[in-house]
Amino acid sequence: MSFETISNFIAAFFTLSIFSFLYKDNPFYKFAEAVFIGVSMGYAIPLIYKDVFTPFVYRPIFVESKFWILIPALMGSLYVFRFSKNLSWLSRYPIVFGMAIVGMGVPLSMHSYVLVQMRSAMLPFDNINTILIFIGTVSILLYFFFSREHKGVYGKVTNVGIWYMMVGFGASFGYTVMARISLLIGRIQFLLGDCLGLVK
Amino acid sequence: MAEKKISFYERMQALDRRYIYLVVALAIIIPLLIPFNSKTYVTEPSENIYKKIDSFAGRKDRAVLLSFTHDASTMAELFPMEVSILRHCFERNILVFTICFLPQAKPLMDYALQTAKEGYEVQSGIDYVNFGYKPWAIFVPLLLKMGDDIAEAVETDDEGRIVNNLEIMKEIKNYNEMNLIVDFSGSAAGLRWITYARAKFGANVALGVTAVMAADNYIYLQSGQLTGMLGGLKGAAEYEKLVDVFATHKELDENGILKPAPREFSKEIIKESWIKMSDIKNRQHKTARIGMNAQTVAHIMIIVFIVLGNIGYFVSKRKTEKVS
Repeated sequence: MSFETISNFIAAFFTLSIFSFLYKDNPFYKFAEAVFIGVSMGYAIPLIYKDVFTPFVYRPIFVESKFWILIPALMGSLYVFRFSKNLSWLSRYPIVFGMAIVGMGVPLSMHSYVLVQMRSAMLPFDNINTILIFIGTVSILLYFFFSREHKGVYGKVTNVGIWYMMVGFGASFGYTVMARISLLIGRIQFLLGDCLGLVK
Repeated sequence: MAEKKISFYERMQALDRRYIYLVVALAIIIPLLIPFNSKTYVTEPSENIYKKIDSFAGRKDRAVLLSFTHDASTMAELFPMEVSILRHCFERNILVFTICFLPQAKPLMDYALQTAKEGYEVQSGIDYVNFGYKPWAIFVPLLLKMGDDIAEAVETDDEGRIVNNLEIMKEIKNYNEMNLIVDFSGSAAGLRWITYARAKFGANVALGVTAVMAADNYIYLQSGQLTGMLGGLKGAAEYEKLVDVFATHKELDENGILKPAPREFSKEIIKESWIKMSDIKNRQHKTARIGMNAQTVAHIMIIVFIVLGNIGYFVSKRKTEKVS
């Protein structure tokens, strides 16, 4: 029996175990769920040791003698104190340094997600799409303006905003259904194609 | 006592959900076992990625970076697009870099490379290089450093070689040369490339995302921040078709032997092209298109259920109103 056959058999067993939950909760499902979590962690820990700890901590300190690396390494290890009631405050220091990355991203995020998006909404009315974008943007922004009651002409405009949002949610939901069905297709393709060789 | 008559719609409303699961399963299994040739319409966001990648063909001073930011749960949608893009690159002699920032993405990245490489004589370090897994914590610093020098930022590849010494890096320095980044994810992770690589260095960014995420990303296509996007299994099917119609196109030579004859992208050709699924021997090269057949039938079933459910709801509501 080849390695591929054995691995396909194991994968098929776990796929069917997970699917069995659709009928009702059972020990096969629970077993597959626990094994999945265990394997994920078991895989991640040595990989992180090999690709994170060794190149970023062990090698610089012990091979290249870059002792200043000890400072961020010790700072990072303060995270362990999350589990201590009395010393958990120490874990806030690495978090503070981590937040520096967030701060660095603020101006660029402002540019990418606000300014460029605003610019792309300010287009000349040379086709139907730009007119629709204009109506949608204005009516939705007015809908989220809660200082004024949504009635009369104002209420009608905000109703247009609701319709736009409903169309947006519908598109998202349609895509979500497609995604979920795709996952099922992927698994059935595996069972019928890779395991049983029925998909040509 | 006479039993109360239950109408068809009431019965549908009270239907055990497991019957619906069974019908959906059959709607997927049957089209997979009895495949049919449904037409794949190619959309502009997919065309744009194809055209951008194809413009690098045969050039040693241009490369594509493929970033894998997903785990096995989204493999059904993302894996076919990864394999298609890699095949496109290998077929057209386009330099490729691969990288991942999640431990779970590492085996999937290796598997995609291994699958796409079948049938191509490509060499690691010359035609492509796998940068391997890099920790998520250094994602932003690494991404910014790549703007100056990719080799210095990445340092070593997956095989532990110094990236700067690799032949593939001879004419590749930073985002000016590695001019397209394609991020595959089932989350908003790819948007970070827009925030940093696009905004700061003007790099071209494209996304391969799960269908759940696709709707959220159209705004970035409209604003021009994204070069293109492959959305879910449909996007993967479109790219598979583009690769088959253009990149791996073959023509008969004067001796009647089929020879590779890649052709430029053309809207007219793609409109008229019709590929018979049974003509494609390698199943990995048509996974998404076979899947889309099943997807079509499953969607029809879901629409039928939604319509029946709604009719049932309104009929029951009317009955209740009449009684009261």
